[in-house]
Amino acid sequence: MEIPLHLGPLKAEGYKIHRSGVRWLCEPGQMCRANQVVAYFNLSIEPAGTRAISPVPFAEERELQVACAPRVAGRLMYDSDAAPGGYLSVIGVNLWDADDVLGRIEVDGASTDLDGDAGRARLLLLAGRRMTPLVDVHSGLLPGWNGRSRGWWCEEGETPVTLLTLGICDLTGVIMGEQCAFMEMFRSETAPSQFVFIPDHPIAPSAPVLLDQLERSPAQFQAISADLQAALSKPGIAPTADDWTFAGTMLSALQRCPMRETYDLVSASGLSRSKPADAVLLSLHAEPPVILRHKTLGYRLHVLRHHQPAAGPALRHWLASAFESVGRTTDDIKADYEKLIDAVKKSTGARVLILNRMSTSGDENISTYAPFDSPMSGTLANIASKELNLMLHDLAASRNIGIVDIDAMTADIGGGQHLPDGIHQSRALQDLVRAEILHLLQGLRPEKRVPVR
Amino acid sequence: MIFEFRLPLISPHMSEALIECLYATPGSTLKTGDKLLDLSVNLSDSFSQDCPPISFYRIILREKAVLRAYRLACGESCKVGEVIAVFSTDPDETLDQPAQRGIRLATAGIIHHSGMWTGNVS
Repeated sequence: MEIPLHLGPLKAEGYKIHRSGVRWLCEPGQMCRANQVVAYFNLSIEPAGTRAISPVPFAEERELQVACAPRVAGRLMYDSDAAPGGYLSVIGVNLWDADDVLGRIEVDGASTDLDGDAGRARLLLLAGRRMTPLVDVHSGLLPGWNGRSRGWWCEEGETPVTLLTLGICDLTGVIMGEQCAFMEMFRSETAPSQFVFIPDHPIAPSAPVLLDQLERSPAQFQAISADLQAALSKPGIAPTADDWTFAGTMLSALQRCPMRETYDLVSASGLSRSKPADAVLLSLHAEPPVILRHKTLGYRLHVLRHHQPAAGPALRHWLASAFESVGRTTDDIKADYEKLIDAVKKSTGARVLILNRMSTSGDENISTYAPFDSPMSGTLANIASKELNLMLHDLAASRNIGIVDIDAMTADIGGGQHLPDGIHQSRALQDLVRAEILHLLQGLRPEKRVPVR
Repeated sequence: MIFEFRLPLISPHMSEALIECLYATPGSTLKTGDKLLDLSVNLSDSFSQDCPPISFYRIILREKAVLRAYRLACGESCKVGEVIAVFSTDPDETLDQPAQRGIRLATAGIIHHSGMWTGNVS
């Protein structure tokens, strides 16, 4: 049988929701799974009257899109000539109409087997806060360079649980998915959810950096900004475009505190503003054995080695001269986590989840550890990872954290094939890690919450 | 007897490695447990990636031998199977003869350090 696939409701009281022409992500006649994103639109939300309502929703998020997925599997049929194409599939030329029909799904079985909502598209809302407003890229999902990306979904009357991810590469693919638009999360989880992702450029999200962000006052930020401007304005220093770009994005990151941020939402229930994230997901790989500390202002900074060449010579000189390198033992990293977790608990109450490290490797053939000086964790990568993983268990004994155990998952399916460098996972491993994260989030859903005594 | 050290296939995805630093001096007699060199394997060597999937390894001797010569220097890359170093049981043996076998070595995954080529010279 064939069922029409229609958009379904999206509301914003006091505003008009405009959508672009459709952009398809699959071919007509293609077999689609349930919850597979098949098309998307750009959205704009404009005041319905002449008087703007303050504050304007999504004011910081220039990228606003909605992706659509059928609720049932089947063959997707649509008229490809019906899409206007060109800029009409970029700009908001149509008012959102819940009854607009995207296409038709040919499904096996009788209509009596189908839920009454089978023809209503599941909607994945996407919002991107550009690193700079200059990055106006018109093509694709969450296009351009976003300093914050998020995706959410919920049915009418539901409130999503929010997970904020502050990780590095080992979490990017798991959370953002292969098209960097949360599509795998959306497909895997139908419960109301929001996923927020902050990239690791230019500053990596180590615990001391995040703690400083959480505690930084506007005056302290002004001091950081003035110090950086002074460093780039010294006689004899000629900053390049790379220096200014790096400095600008660095200041942008230092000025914000993602863990305190709240989020505009639009859904079938209307416009709303969510509280800060219910859970914050971190990566143990983001904790380096050495971190930079500003010599006079005291704030901490961690720039991943592969991002450092993006800075120009003046900024690299400033990093080398204005900061000192501070070594961190495993105990230091644990203490940094404790301070951060306590500060997050006090500030927003969010639960902290941490992805641990793979701590074994089939690439090694060590027959004796005698040649390695003590502490071996200072030299041997896998011993360092084992000690850090154990530290997380010590941390869990005193703090309410969740450990995402990629070490165990990788041991099960094979590190050589699925995690060859210890950081970048295969799709199969990403699926496992994603499932574990979703399992941990189940405990945060209102119906599962256990009162804290 | 002549031995040689050829770059082994440390990871199933690798095709080459970079010599990060050399520890032993040609002419010196090495014993079991002595460090020979550190190398790195970058799985994106042939396909540049912003966050390179790079791993560092230390090569350690598992038998006594005299290091006669390195065929590569720090910062040079080599293919899997390429000769990196030549050893002998006696210090004066001529090298004009084929290697009898590969030298016995251990491979350990290590953390990046300041003595490496990557991140310091490159």
